[in-house]
Amino acid sequence: MRDVIAAFILLNAVVLIVTYLTYVERKFAARMQSRIGPYRVGRPHGWLQPIADAIKLLIKEDIIPALADRPVYNLAPIVFLIPSLLIFATIPFAPGLGLADLNIGILFFLAVSSLEIVGLFMGGWGSNNKYALLSAMRGVNQIISYEVPFVLTALIPVVLAGSLQLSAIVEAQRGLWFVAYPIIGQLAFIAFVIATIASENRVPFDILEAESELVAGFRVEYSGMKFALIQLAEYTHMFGVSCLGALLFLGGWLGPGSAHPVVGAAWFLLKALFIFLLVTWVRWSFVRIRVDQILGLSWKVLLPATLILLMATGFWVALRSGHVA
Amino acid sequence: MSRNGMGFWGETRQTARAVAAAMTVTLKNLFRKPVTVHYPDVVRPYPDRLRGILALIYDETGEEACIGCRLCEYVCPPRVIKVEMLKGEKRNYAKTFTLELYACEFCELCVQVCPTDAIIMLKTFDLATSDRRELLLDKDRLHALGTQFENSWATGTKLREMQRPPKAAKAEAAE
Amino acid sequence: MADPEARRVIELGYGGNERLVMNMGPQHPSAHGVFRMILTLEGETIAAMDSVIGYLHRCHEKLGETLTYAQYPSIASKTDYVAAMTSELTYVMAAERIGKIEVPKRAQHLRVLVAELQRIASHCLWLGTWCLDLGGALGGGATVFLYCFRERELILDLFEALTGARLLYGFHQVGGTRYDLPEGWAQRCRDTVALIDRRLDEYEDMLETNTMFLARAQGVGVIGRELAQEVGIAGPLLRGSGVDFDIRRDDPYSSYGEFDFKIPVETAGDCYARYRVRMQEFRESIKIVRQVQDGLPEGPISSRPALKSVGQVRIPKGEAYARVEGPRGEVGCYLIADGSPKPYRMKWRGASFSNLAILPHIVPGHKVADVVAIMGSVDPVFGEVDR
Repeated sequence: MRDVIAAFILLNAVVLIVTYLTYVERKFAARMQSRIGPYRVGRPHGWLQPIADAIKLLIKEDIIPALADRPVYNLAPIVFLIPSLLIFATIPFAPGLGLADLNIGILFFLAVSSLEIVGLFMGGWGSNNKYALLSAMRGVNQIISYEVPFVLTALIPVVLAGSLQLSAIVEAQRGLWFVAYPIIGQLAFIAFVIATIASENRVPFDILEAESELVAGFRVEYSGMKFALIQLAEYTHMFGVSCLGALLFLGGWLGPGSAHPVVGAAWFLLKALFIFLLVTWVRWSFVRIRVDQILGLSWKVLLPATLILLMATGFWVALRSGHVA
Repeated sequence: MSRNGMGFWGETRQTARAVAAAMTVTLKNLFRKPVTVHYPDVVRPYPDRLRGILALIYDETGEEACIGCRLCEYVCPPRVIKVEMLKGEKRNYAKTFTLELYACEFCELCVQVCPTDAIIMLKTFDLATSDRRELLLDKDRLHALGTQFENSWATGTKLREMQRPPKAAKAEAAE
Repeated sequence: MADPEARRVIELGYGGNERLVMNMGPQHPSAHGVFRMILTLEGETIAAMDSVIGYLHRCHEKLGETLTYAQYPSIASKTDYVAAMTSELTYVMAAERIGKIEVPKRAQHLRVLVAELQRIASHCLWLGTWCLDLGGALGGGATVFLYCFRERELILDLFEALTGARLLYGFHQVGGTRYDLPEGWAQRCRDTVALIDRRLDEYEDMLETNTMFLARAQGVGVIGRELAQEVGIAGPLLRGSGVDFDIRRDDPYSSYGEFDFKIPVETAGDCYARYRVRMQEFRESIKIVRQVQDGLPEGPISSRPALKSVGQVRIPKGEAYARVEGPRGEVGCYLIADGSPKPYRMKWRGASFSNLAILPHIVPGHKVADVVAIMGSVDPVFGEVDR
């Protein structure tokens, strides 16, 4: 019973945070472009804008294309959303403040988050639209290619900490955050950020939703609440991966006064926000690259680099602990 | 993805530098003041010559300046002005004067040709209505607009004077 | 479309895969206007391209026969509405050539001044929309877009103070110009141009060495030198392919002969070369603006009596073709006058119309994502294409 209540609270908290994360992104992006962003809805500075958007999407007409594959089309947003929400089950916000701190936590996270691609392809296929199909095919290509370096960079902190359990990884950073480890830490963090941007379909790797060619990609035929669910799923996944980055590289809830769970959780959210803003900053600064260049980057550059980094990390850990076996 | 024969490390270095440069520009703009003008609470200062909505004005004696000569009707490229002349004893008037503002191009040719400076443009362009018929301006509406808003600099006389040098300079040039 | 079979699909030798015919229709965020492209795709590669234009046809050439020489210059700006000053200039120059009408010195300098300011504004729009196409409405492209439009607004403010309008000016008339510089405009113009000069450095920082941008722009849409001259394109497309031709220098009009400016030429012929040409044109235009402002003579702005009635301007019988180096290429106007206040026939040579002819030659073989990059670097404005 207690777990059900905790899950309920967690779900609502995550959805609320993610909704306001869209607002933060809009404001941040606007300031970088010499404009203001949301301003009028809920003066000053439009802090009610996300609520207004949610209400608007709720009351919109639900249009289904005539020749769409109905079951696939209708299920796609749900299949897209559920993995993004499930990953929050394993994230510990503070010591003792996590829903299910599995001892294979990170494995669960990575495995479940890659189920999103199924929902993406269902959306593209079920829409009966050439643009959507093209975009879904590009998406499958891209996400599969970037899951591999993503997993490998996520493994580096695992090797450094010696455990798959997320809270144990954070505990191992008590002395020094993993991102501060000489060379290996920084390179691993950069590779993690690049792999994140790519598997989240963010510019410069957002060829799959490329507004200027494929106008919204696989989402093009969705409107109303289904579109809202897809948007929610994307931002939730983005937030989830930022949380993972904060846990793996930036020391999770560690910081002054982190003995108290609320302070620890605050530190954690701040670090997740930092990674989110970093990705947003990159997003609003660059043009996108073409799909064959994206795949080239993944297979020819990122994968060998992360493999070498992982081997170097393993080697270093073995040396540090005194035996090479 | 190697180009310019730079090789892998050269290109990685260049990418890193380019990434830093681009993100610095965006960061610099993050701290600049936004250029947004909070219209309609704040209105940016309009220049003197702004070509806004058209209006008819009265002359110094308080009478309607328009003499119904129809020169503006003939010069208008999209033909939005329709005038009927009313002959009077001392001077003529316009019996009806309609201007279809929804089709107007705001080219200022009617202002240019008006011999009595009757038709002018205003320093406002707030046209939005919910009914297109409100934009079919008749004479009363045009006169009312002329008193409501600030007039632009341009009148027929001033425009024609600008395009022709004053007579003194012409005489000098002729010498 | 008459006969679908008649449309030849260029065979590229792929192994018999199924081809997808995709329509990048007139309503599209990166169609640059209303342009319909029918792409035949093999996977992601384009096998053939057909284009359909005419969605913005507004009968300009017929309007030219029904409107007089006094009325039409205000309408002429609607062909290339992004660079309105150069469009009006072409018509007015053609009429002046037939009637052998002298334009006063000050008016000629003013024409050069606004034409170059217009070129800066038009290239700002080009850079913004091209980066928007490359980078997306939600992404870095939008950032460059908003920066470029922020700068373009400054120039439009200058034009607003000069003529009263921001986009379609009606500034030129047969015999000179309609407006003269107001007070304080000269200093404002200098400040604006100096600011844009500084901001251009920022844009180049963001884009020039950026490997992602280079990956999208280099080697894409290569126009060979012979192909460029054969198809009849002009402007930055021609100069990006190594042909050193610019009407301002080779067939000077207004008072361009008196100013000192370079013509940037690049040889690579790809999108990056055209980008370099236009970025250098920015700087050259700023140079010309400064030179004009330094040496602006006093005097009348029109050599004909001020416009008082619609039929005032009569051009004697004759015909002439006037061409102007617009930001997109050669804008030309061929007028046949017959002594009455209206032309007998008017023909526009739209720069973008001729430039679009290059697309079926260079697009096949590229990926779908490259089509938007190529379209952006060709920089069409559909007012000129469809007239």
